[in-house]
Amino acid sequence: MKNRLKVLRAERDWSQADLADRLEVSRQTINALETGKYDPSLPLAFKIARLFGQPIESIFQDEA
Amino acid sequence: MAQKMSPAMRRYLLRFVPAMLAYVVVLSGSILAFENLRPTGPLLWVVAVAPALPIIAVIAIMGLYLMEERDEFQRGMSVQALLWGMGVTLAGATVWGFLENFGLVEHMPTYLAFPVFCGVFGLAQPLVRWRYK
Repeated sequence: MKNRLKVLRAERDWSQADLADRLEVSRQTINALETGKYDPSLPLAFKIARLFGQPIESIFQDEA
Repeated sequence: MAQKMSPAMRRYLLRFVPAMLAYVVVLSGSILAFENLRPTGPLLWVVAVAPALPIIAVIAIMGLYLMEERDEFQRGMSVQALLWGMGVTLAGATVWGFLENFGLVEHMPTYLAFPVFCGVFGLAQPLVRWRYK
């Protein structure tokens, strides 16, 4: 699944570690999310959406 | 950059290390008691089973970690590594058991199952993580 996490993070000038702290996950988790190697659960996706103040579907795009 | 350890991982290590130390102490105690006291009857059962108890505790500690880890990605990688450990141990024990049945290999003590599982689990962890790099 594609996502705009890297762009949204860069817009705020946050490092992967900054975003990791805000979401209470590891930096490795942020990296796996940004590279699209790991899709988050619904609770984590909602947490990300709340943090960036955007709906889930504007952050994550289903490629299918 | 060094990874920050999750609170669940910190608790896991704080439980795991004493449990393994307890294993070394109880195993030594069990062997010493067997050699010096020559226990019989129910006491022999207690002495014989004692070293297994810290190992059972370690298995429970692994389960607790999975329940307490709040980083779902880290938890998922631990689950994958644990499944590698379990799968390889079960497959290996099954193959060995049949080979043993046909007299092709020596008898393998079943208490080796846990160290084999731990070894495969340990090797699988960096490999599972590497896949997500």
